[in-house]
Amino acid sequence: MIDYILLAILNGAVIGISRAINGRLSLAIGPFKASFWNHIIGFLFLASMLIVTGRFSFDVTTDIPIFTYLAGFFGALFVAVNSYVLPRVGATKAVLLVISGQMICSVLIDYKSGNILSILAQFFGVAIILLGVYLAKSSRSRHLKI
Amino acid sequence: MNEHSSDWLLALAGGLLLGLMINYNSLMAKHSTPLFASWVMHGIGAVTSLLFITVFSKKFSANNKINHQYTQGPLWAYFGGIPGSLTMILAAITVNSRLGLSGTLAFIIAGQVLFGLVCDIFGLFDIPKRRFALTDFFVVLSVLMGSSIIIFLK
Repeated sequence: MIDYILLAILNGAVIGISRAINGRLSLAIGPFKASFWNHIIGFLFLASMLIVTGRFSFDVTTDIPIFTYLAGFFGALFVAVNSYVLPRVGATKAVLLVISGQMICSVLIDYKSGNILSILAQFFGVAIILLGVYLAKSSRSRHLKI
Repeated sequence: MNEHSSDWLLALAGGLLLGLMINYNSLMAKHSTPLFASWVMHGIGAVTSLLFITVFSKKFSANNKINHQYTQGPLWAYFGGIPGSLTMILAAITVNSRLGLSGTLAFIIAGQVLFGLVCDIFGLFDIPKRRFALTDFFVVLSVLMGSSIIIFLK
């Protein structure tokens, strides 16, 4: 169990490394070009993974819902936005705000009317996150190292 | 470097975009494989960002000139896509372990915040160093608490 916990924590760090690198690239060539390099390198890397594992096949493409291809559009926009913001507000605040947005998004997407306790819990969770976002906003002047 | 109030709003909106991306991409993964879905997503992302570059390049080339010291990016900065695409493989391992989806999400979030702190304190990957105030501790606490409530009490 502990090894899987460490692996998940390591995964969080790997995500952070990717975003910090893209943020650094954004300082040099701009957020949209940083997003392009992130996606083209990932595309080539995953293509080689598909070839090596022998899972490279186009048979699966027939029953995929068309709108799921929108993921690429949202991903391109996300990497650009995050790479622009990260060097400006710092890695910690950037990740906290992104997690907040992600949590609110998942509550909205998964919303089901039903168990009143679960609805209350989600409402409470979002409220606490929004409190954190408010604190992050108000702490910005003290946050800078001058 | 100046921080504007629009930055935190942009980062929050970024989280919404990421949530949508993960939602659609995991739906595609259900109809194919996680590896294939991630590959397709990166391909479409590359084409989309090329479109963004042509639309926005003029606006942002002016912005670049502010960062004189950064005009030549180091070679390693172009390879952020590799750790980025590795996360999907790591997540597939832990989601299918006893941790499950909720546990995986929670510990990924913990790992991300821990890495963010280390990154800011030591200025890893040439990211400007930062000092922390007491308020930042409460920001970390409330985001982690709120996320845990949503993940585990859903």
